[in-house]
This record gives sequence, C-alpha cells and structure tokens, in this order.
Amino acid sequence: MISKFREWNSNRHAYAKEWKNKTGGKVLGYFCTYVPEEIIYAADVLPIRILGSHEPQDLTEPHIFGMFCPFCRDCLAQGLKGKYSYLDGVMIAQSCLHIRQAYTSWEKHIPTSFTYYLPMPNNVQSPHALKYLTEEIRDFKKALEKWIGKELSDDDIIRGIQLMDENRLLMHQLYDFKTQENPPISGEETMQIAITQQMVRKEEHNFVLREFLQNIKSNKKNTGTRLMILGSENDDIPFVKMVEECGATVVIDDHCIGTRYFWNSVNYTGGDPIEAIAKRYIERPACPSKDWMDRKRIQHLLKLAKDFDAKGAILIQQKFCDPHELDIPAIRKAFKEADIPTLFLEFDVTVPIGQFKIRVEAFLEMLNEYDLF
Amino acid sequence: MISAGIDVGAKNIKIILLRNNEVIAREKILSGFEAKENVVSLYKKILEENGISQNEVSSITSTGSGRKEVDFANMSVTDVTAATKGVTTIYPSVRTVIDVGAEEGRGIRCDNNGKVIDFSINEKCAAGSGAFIEAMSRALEIPIEDFGPMSLQSEKEIPMNAQCAVFAESEVVSLLHAKTDKKDIAKAICDAIAARISSMVRKVGFEKDIAVIGGVAHNVGFLRSINSNLEAEVIVPDYPEYIAAYGAALITE
Repeated sequence: MISKFREWNSNRHAYAKEWKNKTGGKVLGYFCTYVPEEIIYAADVLPIRILGSHEPQDLTEPHIFGMFCPFCRDCLAQGLKGKYSYLDGVMIAQSCLHIRQAYTSWEKHIPTSFTYYLPMPNNVQSPHALKYLTEEIRDFKKALEKWIGKELSDDDIIRGIQLMDENRLLMHQLYDFKTQENPPISGEETMQIAITQQMVRKEEHNFVLREFLQNIKSNKKNTGTRLMILGSENDDIPFVKMVEECGATVVIDDHCIGTRYFWNSVNYTGGDPIEAIAKRYIERPACPSKDWMDRKRIQHLLKLAKDFDAKGAILIQQKFCDPHELDIPAIRKAFKEADIPTLFLEFDVTVPIGQFKIRVEAFLEMLNEYDLF
Repeated sequence: MISAGIDVGAKNIKIILLRNNEVIAREKILSGFEAKENVVSLYKKILEENGISQNEVSSITSTGSGRKEVDFANMSVTDVTAATKGVTTIYPSVRTVIDVGAEEGRGIRCDNNGKVIDFSINEKCAAGSGAFIEAMSRALEIPIEDFGPMSLQSEKEIPMNAQCAVFAESEVVSLLHAKTDKKDIAKAICDAIAARISSMVRKVGFEKDIAVIGGVAHNVGFLRSINSNLEAEVIVPDYPEYIAAYGAALITE
C-alpha cells in the first residue's frame, strides 16, 4: 500500500503530466505551504509544490545569492532544467526571502500564463493580519477566476475547504498510529505520504490514504528509540531511512512537509468561507519566519514531543536558513530543560550520509547509554 | 577474561587486548584500501604474538568510522562512546574529551559517571584533523614527527584561517614565499587547528578536566596551542591513539 505513495513520489512529474492529459486541467506550481490550496482546489486546478531533486546542479549561480539556502536553489534549478515544463502557472505566498528569490527568478526566466505573489503577512500575530489576509485571498481568488475564465461560488470554495480538511483529518489519523509504543508506520513511510500530499490530487490522496489506514496492523516488533525531527524544509527520504536503520523510529516531526502543512483545519461552520480559510493560515503552526513577536512555536514543539513521547530530537537546518537558524538555539535550550536531548545537523542539497550516520549513531548511544554500561 | 577492542579508523586500525580489564597487548596497522582484510590479519597477529587462542577471547567490540568492517565482533559502539569510556576509566575526573584523529575531530562532554552529555564532530571538512597536519607538513617539506617540536621553537602569532584545508595550504605557500620561518608557520598551523577544535569544544561547553586523545595528541605543538586557547592544562594519556580501542574493549555485553 505504501508503494502507491512511493510510486507517486518518485514519478511526481509523470503524475502531474498524466493528470493534465487526462483532464485537460491546469497545473499550478507553488513555492510555500502558506499558499491557500483550498481556493486552487475550488478552481479545479492541480496545485503542486515545487521541490528540489537533491542532485548537485550548476545553473542557479547567476540567479540566487551565495548565502541563500540550498533548497531555494534546488527548486529553481528544477525549473531551469525544464523538469516542471508542464506547469501552467507558478505562485508563492510570502514566507522567506530565499524562496521568494527562487520564485521571482522563475517568473522572469520560465514563462507561464499565470504568476501570482500572495503577500501573506509575516506578522500573523498582529490584530490586522486576519483582515489583511482575507482580502488578499479574495484578490487571489479574483486573479485565479480571470485565469481560468470562470467565477468561483461560495459552494466551490467550501468544496475546496472540505477536500483539504478531509486530507488533514486523515493525516491526523495516520499520526495517531505513531503514538503507539512500537509505531506500525515508519518515519520514512510517513514522509512519503506527507510529500505526496503536496503533489497528488487530494481526492486521490484521500482515497489511497483511507485504504492505507484501514490496513494498518499493529506492530509487535521493537522499532527502537523514538525520535522527533524538526526544522527547515526537509524531504530527504534517504536521511530518514538512514536514521531509522540506526535503530530509531521518527515518531513526530515539525516540517513544512509534515505537520506544519496539515496540523490545523479550516473547520468551516458558516459565514465568509474566505475569512475561514485566512483564519486557518494565520493560526497554523508557524514557520519561524512568522513566529513573532511572541515565540509560540516552542510550546507547540514541546507539546508534540511530549504527546508522541519523543526521547530525543534531531534539529535540521538548511544551510543559511536564517529563520530556523535563529530559532534553533532557543529550541535546544527549551528541549534541554524538558530533558529531551537534541542533535543538530546542517543540511545541503545532498547530505553526507556516512558522516551524519556516525553522529546519529553516537546520539542514539547517548540516549540509550544505560543499556550499554 | 580476555576482551578485545578494535578501532577501525580512517587511517589506522588499532587493536587492544585486555585481561581482566588490564592491557596485555596493543597493535596498529594502516587501514589501507582493504580494511576488512587488514583487521583480520592484525587481529590474528596480535593473538599469535601473545600466545592467545581465539576461543580465549570472550568479547570483541569494534569502534571507529570503519567499525562495520569487523564482522566477527560481538558488538559495536561509536567512537564517541568508546573514547569517553576509555578516558573516564583512566581519568575519572575528566569531563571533556577532545579526540582528534586522521579525518575527524570530536569534542565530547560527559558527566561524573562517564555518561556522554553532548558531543560535536567537525563538519564536512578535515581542516581540524590529522590529515590536515599531514598535508601541511608536506607543504612545509618537514617530517610529520618534527612538526610539533619545530613549532615549539616559535613564539610568533601569525593569523591563519584553517576553515578549509585547501585554502590553508595556499596561505602556507604565501607565507613560504614571504620567507616566513618554517617554525613560525608550523606554530601558526598548530594555532589554527587548535582554534578550530576549541570552537567545536566550546559549542558543547567544556568543563575541566580536559583530556586530548587520538593520534594528533602526539603533536606537542598542537597541545601547547590548545592549552593556551582553552586556558587549561590538558591531560594526555599514554598511547592516546589507542584510547577508543581501549574503551571499546572495556564495553562488553
């Protein structure tokens, strides 16, 4: 069953092309998970997240500053290589400058019939944020209507909301299994499911995920040390596999491929659906670029660690990812006080698996010390 | 009871044999391309030379970056655990272990039970390690054994950036062109490595006593630089390159 998610992930471009051929629909690439996919689904467009390939490249040097993160370069490189040539449009919701530069460069060098910059407020804690974002999403809806040549009714929007919320609910059911003593789902499998959330039509994803959930059998095998993984964008499956092969299981994460993407729902109960959507994005578990003036993330992270009984946490940061870099010292401190040891690793387009393995093994030995001596 | 500790490092394989936790033999050999074969032949050699049969060895523990090559080991631990066990067994007062080998530098902090609290390992580059000193001694055209003693003859402080072994080498070449004395360059290199290792140790937060182990602990110039950098008097055990193997031999099932 997990094979379907793995297949989708490794053939992500083929999936989108096939969907396009089959339906004649439009595909919209987006750069950040603050993009309100509810509206895109309402328009029957396929939203897919633009991701990197974890392969070294030499195309982005003229376009992206040297001290910007490897993820934004990797994403742009995919566009410049023509991997996303099937996209009908690209968009971004403001999060950080690095990924925005990938977007603006894409807009400039890879022509599509639709581009959109959604000024998602960074100060989501401001009392004006909700009103501001509501009107911005309304503007986005208008632009999208113009592009597809069709007006979107409230019913369309509500359909989009329901589809997204259903997917979120199923993801929560999946994560509930991960609270078990020996979780029947590995971190690698979870990541496959989480990545494909961002590239497959939600109707299909929901269908396969629902079936997957029905077939999960409880696990008696010892799955090793329970770990949390958190930090910058992370879709590095070989890394997670390596960690789990060292005798651990990733039980919970805080990544934008993972819980940050689906943790809260719109829960529409009436009124203005656009405002309900805006509220969801204002209140979702924040990316550190939006976690101020108050630092609300840390309490959320500690709660996740506690609820999923994580014995240790791996903190990863994409090289030069300033928002996460700023948060990590405070997270380490808070976790230390909560008696959850942390291991910090800096990620690049490719990770040095051998060297990281030694660190992960040493970290696990540190966590399990009393078994050794 | 005889136990063996086998440390398969990036450059050398070290084996130690213990009888009732006392060292009875130690041997090393270059890891080479065929580490697996070299481990077996060194292990056979050390047993033979000490008149011990394989059946007499009740536990074999491997460690080091190539520890998985030892397929006949009963168990396997990382360098961090083995090094800490080895050092704290000899010096229970040690709270910080600095382990500088051929390819890796490590800073480890432990508590009074020898339990690892935190550790830090050098990033993707080998600038703060033994391979770097070897490269620099080649650039200076001096034998590696003379490197430390030569640097002790200098009191000069020449700033050098050892963030990258390749750039550091070009700095050395520039200094040679500027007719800088070799002993001053040797000291600058020791200072640079010590600065790099110290910054790593500061990351985990260090507490005294501090022990330095690994092959680079033989370099007296490096030891002087690290003492001055950390304002400490580091402890160097005898045979510092064998400490991880010793620690591994002490860890039995």
